[in-house]
Amino acid sequence: MLVEIRNLQVFYGKFQALEIDRPIRINEGERIGIIGSNGAGKTTLVKTLLGLTTYKGRVETRLKPQDMAAHLQFNHYVSTMSVRHVLETILDTSIKTNQRLRELIEYFEFEECLKKRYKSLSGGQKQRLTIIMVMMQDAPLTFYDEVTSGLDFETRQRLMEKLLQWYEGKSNTLCIVSHYYEELELLADHLLILDQGRVIDYGRKQELFQKYCGESIITLDANAENERLTASYRKLAAPAHLIALACREQAEEEELAGLLIRNNINFKRSSSDIEIMSVNAKAAYAKEHESGVSVND
Amino acid sequence: MTEKRCGRRLIVYEIRNVLGNPFIYMFGIVFPVLMFFLIIKTVQADVPESAISQANTAVFITMTLMIPMAVVLLGYSSNYSQELEKEIPLRMKLFGYPEKSVLLAKIIAQFVVMAAGLVIYTAVAYASVEMETPRVSSALCLILCLFLLSGIYFALAHGVATIFKKFGAAYVVMMTVFFGSMILCGMMGIKVDQLPTFAQKMAALLPMSYISSDFIDFWTEGSYNFAPLIQSFLFTGAVSGIVLLIAVRREYRKITSV
Repeated sequence: MLVEIRNLQVFYGKFQALEIDRPIRINEGERIGIIGSNGAGKTTLVKTLLGLTTYKGRVETRLKPQDMAAHLQFNHYVSTMSVRHVLETILDTSIKTNQRLRELIEYFEFEECLKKRYKSLSGGQKQRLTIIMVMMQDAPLTFYDEVTSGLDFETRQRLMEKLLQWYEGKSNTLCIVSHYYEELELLADHLLILDQGRVIDYGRKQELFQKYCGESIITLDANAENERLTASYRKLAAPAHLIALACREQAEEEELAGLLIRNNINFKRSSSDIEIMSVNAKAAYAKEHESGVSVND
Repeated sequence: MTEKRCGRRLIVYEIRNVLGNPFIYMFGIVFPVLMFFLIIKTVQADVPESAISQANTAVFITMTLMIPMAVVLLGYSSNYSQELEKEIPLRMKLFGYPEKSVLLAKIIAQFVVMAAGLVIYTAVAYASVEMETPRVSSALCLILCLFLLSGIYFALAHGVATIFKKFGAAYVVMMTVFFGSMILCGMMGIKVDQLPTFAQKMAALLPMSYISSDFIDFWTEGSYNFAPLIQSFLFTGAVSGIVLLIAVRREYRKITSV
């Protein structure tokens, strides 16, 4: 066990930003995706684990602060400084003599940026600079807080591919905060779902999917015709523009797919859709608090 | 990852950081040199030929005070407040640099740049006009006072920047202190004894006014009663210390307010 969180409460003044009332254990090598809408407490949790907030409760870990690395939402450096000097000073090494750093610079195609001043870098280049430095720390526990936010689709894709390749087969534990579900589908094996400072659920990605959605789901556009056609199937909570149908077993899925194909209706099949899963987890949590029955019991 | 210390690389980085601020060149080098030449032109018209060298030296001593004020008081507060605005100190901490290491590197960098500014200013002044050569003890006394002032300014600038955490607010406060001190301590061409009584009383609390008006008296020979100067150093040091303490306590309360 790398980190265990118990009965955690974080306040900003009188406002309770985070409450974790059930134990959360993070083990070595796990890739934890932290999801939730704005104000859910994701960044507060990251800052708490990094020791940057004061909290009530317990965060037990054998790691020292310097065993953790973090790519925060905002990562600024001295704007007039050359990127080379930022890199060499922060990492306290020389690019010339550090083979591993040179490899990372090459891996992220960052050579040309070294001559520039920090303020001249584009958004994607700034993200890559921090990622290089975070990766160089090679920390047992690494946080990536919205590492691709504000980047265009193509840059985002490329960055995620690089991250994915780099950590493949490595034992570092990663905590990844993201609003992009497809990134978490690629990177995370565990999910922590937060909403308004509370834990909705935490567990293995696949187990959570099965708990809230079943074996697989089929999503299609929400319109009157599709509603009528799928009226007899079990519907899941979904964003307003979608109908999400739960399939308990393969036969049910094949039957539903056949129906949609025969009626020439476009649909998407998934056995790992994080968005639909988290919507249903939140719905179940809300229901639990109305009825007083816990979904985690 | 091990905790990083204040080493050569971090100090050089902080020197680059200081030099990246255009205020330093403008207010720390160009402005004192310009003011020196401007004021000696005016002074020379009013003094006899035999006293020109002494008058030039008196102006030179007064204008040296501008360098630590510009580099440390104004430059550091503007730099550090911008860093706080962008959470750069937090980034450094997360990359393994404890606050004390960064602060130590920053103080050293400020002293190095201030010393360099002083050397350039002195070289330009002594190469351009007729000046009196000081006794070693007098020169050392001035240098010591300038470094002491730099330390006090550093504490004040760090405190103000930490309290406001915004460049705009910190800059307004420091500009007020900068120009206020210049007026009170004779750096704008008006001597301390020419100021209104209330302003003279305020000036008496600042070490810069003693350096500006008295150091010429023992520059080449003579003795000096250091007691008022030491008292003024203690006063400004205490004020800066209190500001720094308030800033540190506010930060501590913010972190521990549960």
